[in-house]
Amino acid sequence: MTDHLLSLLIFLPSAGALVLLLFPESQPRAIKAFSLAVALAELAASLPLWTRFAPGRIGFQFVERADWIPALGISYSLGLDGISLLLVLLTTILTPVSLLFSVTHIDNRVRGFAVSFLVLETGMLGSLLALDLALFYVFWEVMLVPMYFIIGIWGGARRIYAAMKFFLFTMAGSVLMFLAILYLAARHLAVTGYWSFALADLTRLPLTPSAEAILFVAFAVAFAIKVPVFPLHTWLPDAHTEAPTAGSIILAGVLLKLGVYGYLRFALPLFPDAATRFAPWLGVLGVVGVIYGALVAYPQPDMKRLVAYSSVSHLGLVVIGVGAFTAMSLSGAVLQMINHGLSTGALFLLVGVLYERRHTREIAAYGGIAGVVPVTAALFLVATFSSIGLPGLNGFVGEFLILLGTWSGPAKWWAVAAATGMILSAIYMLTLVQRVFWNPLTLEENRRIPEIRPSEFLAAATLVVLMVWIGVRPNDFLSKITPSLEELRTTVSEKAAHRISPATEMTARGAP
Amino acid sequence: MSPAINFSHTDLLACAPEIALTLAGCLLVLLEAFVPGTRRWFATLSLAAVAGALWLLLTAPPGTSFDGRYETSALTAILGIFLGGTAAVSVLVAKSFLARAGEERGEFYALLLWSLAGCLLMTRGLDLLIVFVGLELLSLSLYVLAGFFRGVHASAEAGLKYFLSGAFGSAFTLYGIALLFGKAGSVRIAALAAPGLASDSTVLMGVLFLFVGFGFKMALAPFHAWAPDVYAGMPTPAVAFLSVAPKGASLLVLYRVFAALFGDGLPDRMRAAVAAVAVLSMTLGNVVALAQRDIKRLLAFSGIAHMGYVTIALVVFGRNALAAAIVYLFAYLVSNAGAFAAVAALYRDETKPHPVTQLAGEGRRSPFAAAVLGLCLFSLAGIPATSGFVGKFFVFKAAIEKGADGGSLFYALAIVGVVNSVISLGYYLRVVYTLYMKDSVEPDGAPPLSASDGLALAVCGAAVLVLGIFPASLWREALKAAESLPLFNP
Repeated sequence: MTDHLLSLLIFLPSAGALVLLLFPESQPRAIKAFSLAVALAELAASLPLWTRFAPGRIGFQFVERADWIPALGISYSLGLDGISLLLVLLTTILTPVSLLFSVTHIDNRVRGFAVSFLVLETGMLGSLLALDLALFYVFWEVMLVPMYFIIGIWGGARRIYAAMKFFLFTMAGSVLMFLAILYLAARHLAVTGYWSFALADLTRLPLTPSAEAILFVAFAVAFAIKVPVFPLHTWLPDAHTEAPTAGSIILAGVLLKLGVYGYLRFALPLFPDAATRFAPWLGVLGVVGVIYGALVAYPQPDMKRLVAYSSVSHLGLVVIGVGAFTAMSLSGAVLQMINHGLSTGALFLLVGVLYERRHTREIAAYGGIAGVVPVTAALFLVATFSSIGLPGLNGFVGEFLILLGTWSGPAKWWAVAAATGMILSAIYMLTLVQRVFWNPLTLEENRRIPEIRPSEFLAAATLVVLMVWIGVRPNDFLSKITPSLEELRTTVSEKAAHRISPATEMTARGAP
Repeated sequence: MSPAINFSHTDLLACAPEIALTLAGCLLVLLEAFVPGTRRWFATLSLAAVAGALWLLLTAPPGTSFDGRYETSALTAILGIFLGGTAAVSVLVAKSFLARAGEERGEFYALLLWSLAGCLLMTRGLDLLIVFVGLELLSLSLYVLAGFFRGVHASAEAGLKYFLSGAFGSAFTLYGIALLFGKAGSVRIAALAAPGLASDSTVLMGVLFLFVGFGFKMALAPFHAWAPDVYAGMPTPAVAFLSVAPKGASLLVLYRVFAALFGDGLPDRMRAAVAAVAVLSMTLGNVVALAQRDIKRLLAFSGIAHMGYVTIALVVFGRNALAAAIVYLFAYLVSNAGAFAAVAALYRDETKPHPVTQLAGEGRRSPFAAAVLGLCLFSLAGIPATSGFVGKFFVFKAAIEKGADGGSLFYALAIVGVVNSVISLGYYLRVVYTLYMKDSVEPDGAPPLSASDGLALAVCGAAVLVLGIFPASLWREALKAAESLPLFNP
């Protein structure tokens, strides 16, 4: 294989960040232009993935492999399949969108901001493309550092608290996964006689049911904190509320998805039996998240906090889809991750637009501004419709598939709960729109809110176009996702049969 | 045993590195006394002495000398690089630091070189008396360095405190050696491999005393009480050395003694004792560090915690674990020495305390030093892509690997270790956010960055990243080095 497209995608942003360090801080315009150019070049470089990706082909595509720590079987191995494809593209789209939005809003330490974003993009793409658990863990943790700075330096009043909470929660979740990875690799050594951290090798390991359960929990907790699954979600509202708008877009758009992605990519194939055993719990936690998130979102006085809780609710839906584990619910879950990235990204962006003008996110401080800022209002309405699953837009497709798939899955009442959550989401989102944009215009200062700027409009419009595309032609996307998910489903259900038998293990290890 | 030691010139050549360092130290003292005009060359001269000693060490033919009392091997070579590297960073940091404090005197560098020679003796001695002589040479030099700023109350206090607790620790070591000598009939480490000794309670008592004695040097809890005050009062460049080199040398001595006595596995009681010390050091170090307001005291407790992590590798024991410990030591060297280099560069007045709050706003005012400090702290916290993660990775990997052979103690140690690294984030991140997310309170801020400080910071920062991203060759060398340690009772 001479194709290094994935490596290029991972390291182009970091290379750009390194070059940015040479720019003097006194030239914010040049820094902004260059970082945006890097992000757009990255987007352009990622488009061939979409055209060259062959949906029918089994296994990973664009594969790369090189030794990293050969003595321990740790390799730099990358690959792409239908599950990661759309998330990769979402990442390369949301990064320039965030930077574009920030062009007019970040004037403080611009260089550090741009560098953080580009390094973050490297971390996200690395996590999405790594096929070696050690490599994955490195990228997974590296992501925390730039996000910590983005929240902590450019965030709101309680930014330091929120940044610390974000870092500590995520780190606390992932250290046990780190030990679980080490255990798997040591187990591989014990069974086969050589080290390996490669996903493909470790999925074939025989594990005792109790060990598998413990390891699964270590992985699942790490991913559940990231998603976040109720009751591990408490860092999210703080992080979202305090993060700068661009940070919220990336956080909601990509970082949270990595939790679900990690579950699908690693936890499921590594621990199929435990995953099947724990699936009901996952579904129940998803249901609780859907309802809880919706109920807590409704009374929030702060727009950003409301959208943050709506994320808890919407990702609960995705978790239900994963827990149900039918072909349809899985496709819906993966597509819904993309949808949520687009709609919540757009909502955060537009809340940011209002915040930058009025310097408040209090819902009560607005009212009746649809006539003042009609374009913003229209965009916000589309994003809302997408978020609550109006037919014709992307949200509908994903939610419908999840509902349908879950109905034929293990527990019908999950689908009932999920549908309730969708109704609730319509209630709180539409109430938000009503209170911000329609109610009577009572406050004098709201009469002079400037309309959305071209750069902001371009950023938001990009997302709206994608919402409509997915809504109208979902098959363009589903056709890429579905084969990989089918493969995942077959591997998981057939895994037990293909595992190395315990007898081989005994002979390989010998008596202790 | 013959009363006189006969040695040839090849034996002398074997200890040429130590001789060179000692002579260079003497030369510096003489120059200071008679040609004080050469002071600005002292740092360069010291660096040359360290480099020369390393060259002598690395080119010496492997084997033993002085009738099997002195070792030259891949193990002593890699430890030599570790110790010499620490000394080099300290010298670089000392140059502008001493000039700023108006104390640029040859004694400082001479004492540093002598303590390096002491460390080398410790790592190379196969005879407990040589080890002890090395320990004393190291300690006496460091006692003086701790009190180097005679006029400053805190420094004088640090010197006295370190001396008293160090003397206490040395007494333990010596008593331990006496007990071992009494049973084994020889002070040679290899003599401990004689059958039956490992289960003898007097010998176990002796080893325990040795462990306590070197535990003082490593600042392992509960033998750590001296560390915060000494770190706070001692000149920062000397702390960079004290906090790294003696700890690594002590760990190797313990490994040698354990290897001779226990072969490749510790007996249960010993294992429990060492494991308890490891857990206590990690937990106490990290939890108490959370409450520290002074960066040098904070780093002192962080150092206590880090010695706890590396002690896991002593509990696990074996070649893999020793290699892991060596990787850990290198990782710790570059991040800890880098952090102290940054502290030296970021605080203007050495004679005053070093409150963390004073770092506020330095992220903008002194971007380079602040960035290296932040990087080193992330590394100490064990964030991937830094050397600190690699160190933890190998140590925990050794524990998990051993756990697979049975023994949930090893799993427990790894779990305590990772939980502790989350706790440690609490205080490392506090420093980072003070650097970057708080507005400056100090009107002056850090002094301008000198070239030598800049070099030290650049070297440490680059090393943190290079070791963090490309650890394969360090691991290979560490494994090779660990293989040269004989495990006597396989």
